[in-house]
Amino acid sequence: MDRRLQGLEEAFDGLDIEPSRDGGKRLLVDRGSVLSLLSALVDRGFDHLHMVSCVDWPEQKELELVYILSAYNLGGSFEEEHRDVVMVGCRVPRNRPVAVSAIRLFECAEPYEREIHELFGVRFEGHPRLTPLFLDRHYETPPFRKDFDTRQYVEDFFGRVPPVGDGDGERT
Amino acid sequence: MRELELYFGPQHLGMVGNFSITLKVEGDRVLEAAANPGYLHRGFEKLMEQRSWIKNFPMVCRMNVIEPDSMEMIYAMGVESLAGLQVPERAQFVRSIYLELARVGSHLFGLWAYANMLGFDTVAQWAMYHRDLVLDLFEELTGGRVYHIYIWPGGVRRDFPEGFEKRLVETLHSIGGCVPDYNGTFFENRLFRDRARNIGTVTREEALGMGGTGQVLRATGVPYDVRKIEPYAAYDRVPWEVPTREDGDACSRILVVRDEMIESVHMIFKLLDEMPGGDVYNRIPNPFKWRIPAGETYVRCESSRGELGLYLVSDGGERPYRAHFRTPSFPHGLTVLEDALRGESISDVGNIMISLYVVAPEIDR
Amino acid sequence: MDRNQLIKWLKEPAKMGHKYSLHAVYFCTGCGIIEVPPSITARWDAERFGVTPAASPRQANLFLITGYVSLKTLKAIIRTYEQMPEPKYTVGFGSCPINGGMYWDSYNTIKHLDRYIPVDGWIAGCMPRPEAIFVAVTHLWTLIDKDMADGYRRYRRNYAAYRANQEMVLGELGWPPLFGGEGE
Repeated sequence: MDRRLQGLEEAFDGLDIEPSRDGGKRLLVDRGSVLSLLSALVDRGFDHLHMVSCVDWPEQKELELVYILSAYNLGGSFEEEHRDVVMVGCRVPRNRPVAVSAIRLFECAEPYEREIHELFGVRFEGHPRLTPLFLDRHYETPPFRKDFDTRQYVEDFFGRVPPVGDGDGERT
Repeated sequence: MRELELYFGPQHLGMVGNFSITLKVEGDRVLEAAANPGYLHRGFEKLMEQRSWIKNFPMVCRMNVIEPDSMEMIYAMGVESLAGLQVPERAQFVRSIYLELARVGSHLFGLWAYANMLGFDTVAQWAMYHRDLVLDLFEELTGGRVYHIYIWPGGVRRDFPEGFEKRLVETLHSIGGCVPDYNGTFFENRLFRDRARNIGTVTREEALGMGGTGQVLRATGVPYDVRKIEPYAAYDRVPWEVPTREDGDACSRILVVRDEMIESVHMIFKLLDEMPGGDVYNRIPNPFKWRIPAGETYVRCESSRGELGLYLVSDGGERPYRAHFRTPSFPHGLTVLEDALRGESISDVGNIMISLYVVAPEIDR
Repeated sequence: MDRNQLIKWLKEPAKMGHKYSLHAVYFCTGCGIIEVPPSITARWDAERFGVTPAASPRQANLFLITGYVSLKTLKAIIRTYEQMPEPKYTVGFGSCPINGGMYWDSYNTIKHLDRYIPVDGWIAGCMPRPEAIFVAVTHLWTLIDKDMADGYRRYRRNYAAYRANQEMVLGELGWPPLFGGEGE
């Protein structure tokens, strides 16, 4: 085990560390302590937040937020153990998706959280501007959830637009 | 003085790509900038969930039109990591050469955009011409000028054609022979230095705090490059350097781009010398019925704009369950750009945006 | 210059002027824009065909819709198109504006561009090569010659229908109708 992750399991109740298949580490934590876990990881050198992602698991009725971290490792040599990527997962209920914003720790989390808010409908507490990022219009179901059927939506929404007018017939 | 709100883009001469920034200005100083992306949002990652693993190769490369090749690479890496596929040694070299060639092409495009924006039309014309020579090589190798879809899970689609190495070296020599011209006309020109120095400065702390990678970080003196940290393809087989600069301004970033281009060309020559023989791909199962074991992975590589990552989840089915790309332009074009524009002059907005190397479709996806 | 064209120049100088000086709007609507810089620079040199980029839509008469059109871009395209002076010509570049292309099931891109603004010609392919742009330009010349590049007239004639379609996908547009009543 990476020495930088030692002691974490004792410090956090219910924390589950397992090696992920690609050689990194996978941590699963409950929603309340995700911020303190991230902060502990920052103190242990994982100072580079790659991204915040979100996966929809409709069968478990949960959305999983995934924080992917690694170390910039300034000044250090790039040894084998420093290549690790750590994934922190945190599950929120699908019907009331609320999480805590990580902007306090990582400034770059801001656009990712905006994106997840827009595409998955997760609300981040403490986020200064949860305004739409990509989409101009409102969707009943956030479009990246599994129950949003794009093919049906395209048929309903774009299929009703009729072709316009005279077309080729009236051309001289 | 009165505050004004100014809309910069999407239809704007200083804007490369379909992107827009809302500026709050006082006089010609920018008080606050708010990036407004989404003009190119196609919901790629959602569409990928509806297409089989192999059908997604033509999808992913359209995510970054300027350098589609690293997108293919990252997706192939993700699929290989999930499926546990091995890549033959020769294919690793072919991939590296191909990616470095793509990097040169992409940087030449960036140089075109930057020189064009500064008004160096001659340099812009050269850069675009030289990029076209690179595209000719791609066309010979893959059949496409822009989208190549050359990298495949388990290797690459085909080996180099007869005599390709020779033409590759000749083309790169003819482009490399123009570096003194570029230097004299552009990089060492006082007009460029005066226009780009101390513009859009991003300090090292800011870059690290905001998730900066690529030129943004290397221009502040941090030799952070995924090709070194987590070598993929054949990058650990040959010696090469990570070029850096110290100042963190637009000038440093563009000079890092130039140095990288030169380093890439040298790397291609070294890789060609070391290249082993053998197959260029391992057979994969029938792609139309290909099921990949359940699991998740995060892979990363270095695109010409910075660190490119892919979080890929499989539920054991014929399609990806979830794919999420960490594109370098996402933090650069939203967080870093908004920060770098604060306090700058309106006339430098395009300058800063292009020097940060933001490509809009990568942000929107 | 072709001697046979002399008579055309004398009869319809304005039309010949439009035909041989196509000023393209500088608007990167989609990924097709990647083939436009090579086309307008030294190697392919679109200026041989009189095509040159124009800084503002007010000075342009050719609108290349380069690639897929998302809903947010459609709004910008309509605004830009309405700002251009007549006569104006629209060319859809790439497969995506024709029928959605590979984004046929995307929730955020429109499928048929000609249902929202009139289009005079299409260039198929993804990505079309620079030669394809030039072929399209020469076709456009023929169309202009025969008065068949009449998109802007169709827009006037069917403005109500176009506007209705635009509002169907974009909701309330933030600007008043360009033309008053039904047809002009």
